[in-house]
Amino acid sequence: MSAQLSHLDVLEAESIHIFRELASEFRRPVLMYSIGKDSTVLLHLARKAFWPAKPPFPLLHVDTTWKFRDMIAFRDATVAEHKLDLIVHTNKDGLARGIDPIRHSPSNYTDVMKTQALKQALDAGQFDCAVGGARRDEEASRAKERVFSFRTAGHRWDPRRQRPEMWQLFNGRLGAGETARVFPLSNWTEKDVWRYVAREKLDVVPLYFSAERPTIERNGQLLVLDDERLRPKPGEKIVQRRVRFRTLGCWPLSAAVASEADTIETVVAETLAASTSERIGRLIDHDQAGAMEKKKQDGYF
Amino acid sequence: MRTQRLRDTALYAKAPAPAQAVDKHITGQVRVLTCGSVDDGKSTLIGRLLWDASDLFEDQREALRKSTRRVLDGTHLDYSLLVDGLLAEREQGITIDIAWRYFDSANRRFVIIDSPGHAQYTRNMASGASHADVAIMLIDARHGIKTQTRRHAALLDLFGVRRVILAINKMDLVDWSEARYREIEADLKTLVWKFRFDEVTAIPVAAVTGDNVARRSEAMHWYRGPTLFDQLNRTETHGGAAAVARESFRMPVQTVIRDGQDFRGLAGTVTAGSVAVGEEVVDTVSGAAAKVARIVTMDGDIATASAGRAIALVLDRDLDISRGAVLAKRNAKPTAARQLDVRLVWLSEAEFDPGARYLLRTATDLVPIASLAVDSLLDLESLARKPSTVCAVNDIALARIELGRATALDLFASAPATGGFVLVDAIDGATVAGGVVTAAAATTSERGANRNREAFSLTRDLLDDLCADLDDTAGAHIERERRSRAVAEILRAAGVTVDHDTATKRKR
Repeated sequence: MSAQLSHLDVLEAESIHIFRELASEFRRPVLMYSIGKDSTVLLHLARKAFWPAKPPFPLLHVDTTWKFRDMIAFRDATVAEHKLDLIVHTNKDGLARGIDPIRHSPSNYTDVMKTQALKQALDAGQFDCAVGGARRDEEASRAKERVFSFRTAGHRWDPRRQRPEMWQLFNGRLGAGETARVFPLSNWTEKDVWRYVAREKLDVVPLYFSAERPTIERNGQLLVLDDERLRPKPGEKIVQRRVRFRTLGCWPLSAAVASEADTIETVVAETLAASTSERIGRLIDHDQAGAMEKKKQDGYF
Repeated sequence: MRTQRLRDTALYAKAPAPAQAVDKHITGQVRVLTCGSVDDGKSTLIGRLLWDASDLFEDQREALRKSTRRVLDGTHLDYSLLVDGLLAEREQGITIDIAWRYFDSANRRFVIIDSPGHAQYTRNMASGASHADVAIMLIDARHGIKTQTRRHAALLDLFGVRRVILAINKMDLVDWSEARYREIEADLKTLVWKFRFDEVTAIPVAAVTGDNVARRSEAMHWYRGPTLFDQLNRTETHGGAAAVARESFRMPVQTVIRDGQDFRGLAGTVTAGSVAVGEEVVDTVSGAAAKVARIVTMDGDIATASAGRAIALVLDRDLDISRGAVLAKRNAKPTAARQLDVRLVWLSEAEFDPGARYLLRTATDLVPIASLAVDSLLDLESLARKPSTVCAVNDIALARIELGRATALDLFASAPATGGFVLVDAIDGATVAGGVVTAAAATTSERGANRNREAFSLTRDLLDDLCADLDDTAGAHIERERRSRAVAEILRAAGVTVDHDTATKRKR
């Protein structure tokens, strides 16, 4: 085996290091599994970190009930393949109140079905550490995020109370009422994630690859219709287009991009040549200026 | 030809490590710390670098073009907007943080670590420096070296940055003057030579216009050295020869992986040197030894693993060790230390409390501290030590630590990954300080022998002859102070620990 390390090797080793640290430092960690490409890479690295044993923590999927059907199928297949322990949590109260991403504003919907749901699940499982796939390159407010990020009681993020991190020393000792979020992919970029998916030959949700899909155009963005819950408004037409997704979330909030990239090689090539950042397709971020930073202070992941 | 040119501008450069050793360990990633204040044009410089040399997305470029903010009489975009993007920074002014940015050039990943230059800069710079392969120090060509420049250099040196680029910015505002540049360059030479930097390069730039950032300046044809981007592209990453020497192998054990009855793997990241199947490794504290039977990864077993690899070692016999142990080679072990001399940067808003319980967090160990005594504070401008038993946020303190039990530690200067630590408040878990080990021993007497001599007091009497021409006017006092400083710096460069505060006082 050659001693030469590429930058993907460096990132991989760093993430494995972080996984081993968090598993040792925290009493009851949980891996936030959201099915997308970042979660796929995250899970792969977790498996590498503890190989030949299984990762010593369960997966948690916060299911808003608005995920693409392909995503749920992929999730279940992945869990079965690697014999993982999966917890699925839905905010029953939000569901009962009929909170949905079509009639409610993205920020209200996200708060109830994602932020509140996540807090419920973490409290119910008494998890002291939630591992997520967030990257610092995703959005300006994440550029200063720590690898070990602490939350006060009630899961609030206080930028003033974050711990300085020096070298590769991650201090996971919790104060009273504190919990932690840990981000092993902090130093990865969107391009790295795709390069790594290709290098490691990882399976990802088919929605990342181009195919003919039923779409409507709304507010300048292409939406793919996944079931009967979203109907075209007057004037909107359902058109079959060759599209794919750069990021996956709840389907009425995920915009597709026109693309011919239908293999991992062409997707990587397209990503490397891309002229727009991936979050342009994530509708919640356009809701208000500094949206992500505000959401984070409220406890959004 | 190129090396010849570079020699013109490298203020100081140690002989590079053998090319083969370095090439093998080039990671393709360079972490760059930027130091300087907003006034020096730091955000503009980083923004300009992103604009000219990176794979910045088109929507980000478009947003900047659409912005109405312009600089230089409205003729140039305000590149600082690419950097100063945070809502909190813009509207609430609360950031006391490091921001991380990533970009790719043709064959390198650049990680830009930006530590804001304001009141909290000491602690931010210290934590930023701990992650950096190279630092860019920004200097405003109109103002030259400021006290801040000296502090920055001292912090970089303390926390392990070995390569420095001095970007002399705003050359457009001094009429692209070579004379001015040479003047600052000469000042910088006297500033940096006393530190342990491996390489220092000065580059005249103008961030707003992009001169010598990624594009060779036509206005400064007299400058023949690299552009900032060229220099970043040729910067070596990590360690050099010492870090990759086989004998210097270190692996702090993170966790023990068990799978069924038969598998017991010691998991960790190799932080220095390398290890191969069949070689003997030793647990630093217990001295117990075993041979490496397997080096396990999910991609299959490997025969050798060098610095940077995350692995699991299966040994030929079970050693009773767990998280916190450091594996090494028998003849080049870390110290099983209980007594430490350290330098630390106090990070917490809460002052050092001699009555509080602190824990020492090493690479993977967490050790109770039996006693922690601050001896002195380091003045970053003069590098003089001022006796003190207290320390507070942003102070650099020299301290002695006695540990409740032995743990494996190196001297930071020889093995940064196993010679650095953070101090943890045992009650609320906060990280209160970060530090580096300057002497380590099993017992106090041993540490005394390892430690530097007591500080030499440079008193006024000793300078009488040198200052015989000076009288008692205010101007003469300033000149006397300047000379004593210069003597202190010469002595320090020769390895003498100097207390120069007494230089203006008469011996009693």
